[in-house]
Amino acid sequence: MVKRENNSYHLPLRLGKLKDKGQVKIQQMAFMLIALTIFFVLVGLFVLGFNLSKIKGTANELENKNALFLASKLANSPEFSCGNSFGNNKLSCIDLDKVMALKENIEDYDRFWDVANIEIQKIYPVEEEIICTKGNYPNCNFIKLREKELSGVDLYNFVSLCHKEKQGENFYDKCEIGRLMVFYEKN
Amino acid sequence: MKNKKGIEMSFTWLFGIVIGIIILAFAIYAVTKFMSEGDSLQTAKTSKEIGILLNPLETGFETSQTSSFVMPVETRIYASCDNLTRIFGRQLISVEQKSFGKWTETDLQASFPNKYIFSEKGIEGKKFYVFSKPFEFPFKVADLIYMTSSEDNYCFQGMNSDIERELKNLGQGNIFVEEENFLEECILICFDSGNCDVKVNYDGGFVEKNKKRMYFEGDALMFAAIFSNYDNYECELDRLMKRASSLAQIYNDKANLVVISNCNSNLDLLGLKLDFDGFENSNNISRIYINVEEIGDSNRVAECKLW
Repeated sequence: MVKRENNSYHLPLRLGKLKDKGQVKIQQMAFMLIALTIFFVLVGLFVLGFNLSKIKGTANELENKNALFLASKLANSPEFSCGNSFGNNKLSCIDLDKVMALKENIEDYDRFWDVANIEIQKIYPVEEEIICTKGNYPNCNFIKLREKELSGVDLYNFVSLCHKEKQGENFYDKCEIGRLMVFYEKN
Repeated sequence: MKNKKGIEMSFTWLFGIVIGIIILAFAIYAVTKFMSEGDSLQTAKTSKEIGILLNPLETGFETSQTSSFVMPVETRIYASCDNLTRIFGRQLISVEQKSFGKWTETDLQASFPNKYIFSEKGIEGKKFYVFSKPFEFPFKVADLIYMTSSEDNYCFQGMNSDIERELKNLGQGNIFVEEENFLEECILICFDSGNCDVKVNYDGGFVEKNKKRMYFEGDALMFAAIFSNYDNYECELDRLMKRASSLAQIYNDKANLVVISNCNSNLDLLGLKLDFDGFENSNNISRIYINVEEIGDSNRVAECKLW
């Protein structure tokens, strides 16, 4: 028969040692798990960051594509095109009189073409830049559809710029060569 | 004596297993979420790309233009219309693609305020045909885009020679104009009387489809009514009238500007603008068209043409 007195003396000591050892193990495990969680969180953040930069890249690529197509076809859209008002239907021809009228109504077209700004510039003959306003038109060579300052990337296309010019008691069609610039914001 | 031996498991192990399961569950959830986000991103990108790829269809030519595009996987394209946002409303495009045999669902939509796409509510397939036609009312308002799936065949019957020639010239793989080529599974479009899916009353200026009547003026709107559903047609037409109204204002301002250069046109464009502003549904179109035709004729013979 085992004497209880002896055991009762030694048991708390042994149990205490085991308990300490177990606590250390739990602590080790807890630290390990925390480290593992932090590692996964870091990996997750890295993947997320990489993905976000990929999304930004895709967005920029799509903006660029849109602006590129727009620069090539905008001259033929109803708000810009010459139509038949300068003789037969001309392609890549901008009616400057219409663009000046559009400039007056540009608030209606906010984000309509999904670009930051559109500018039209006469490129020949080379002259000092005169921005077109209601007051100086047609004695100018640069139309900014929106007056705000720009930060962005521009893409351009060469076009004919036509308008009606006064000649004595009559008028005639005057066409010059110009550049249609489309600006888009880079993310 | 009872055998009390079981699987001995210390608390450390139990703790490790529980936390391990939690971490694993979290990781699986994150990966699944990440994959579905990736799918959504891909469909959103595709929607935007489709819209951008339609840009070259909008040109200054007065004839129809056709094109097609092929998707790498089975795709559903939803072209819907919103006529309430901003002044001109917007064209919405969303895409669902098959991934591992399941359709990816997304609520991401690409929006295009300067596009007008006429198609059924959702079209499904790998190859899609698009053709465009300018809408003049009386000046050019926009290029209308008609989008169909190669899986849907359209058989035209009893149309006049001009429309037949135009459809033949398109050379679109899913449009048939000669009866001997009609397929068994075909959406039948009749210009004369008959039991057809779509009935076109060319002289009366309306298209009947799914027991609903869509009124049109001109071939561009007729094709729009044929290839789209009722809600889409009415909504896009409303958007077109809004743009026409804005263009009438621009032409009126242009007329005031060029008068200084002795270029007189004398057209009642503000009256026309009021007509466009009063548009309610396609039922009104013939009433507006009376004024449109009159102003179009006046511009055609004017010394100073505005468009």
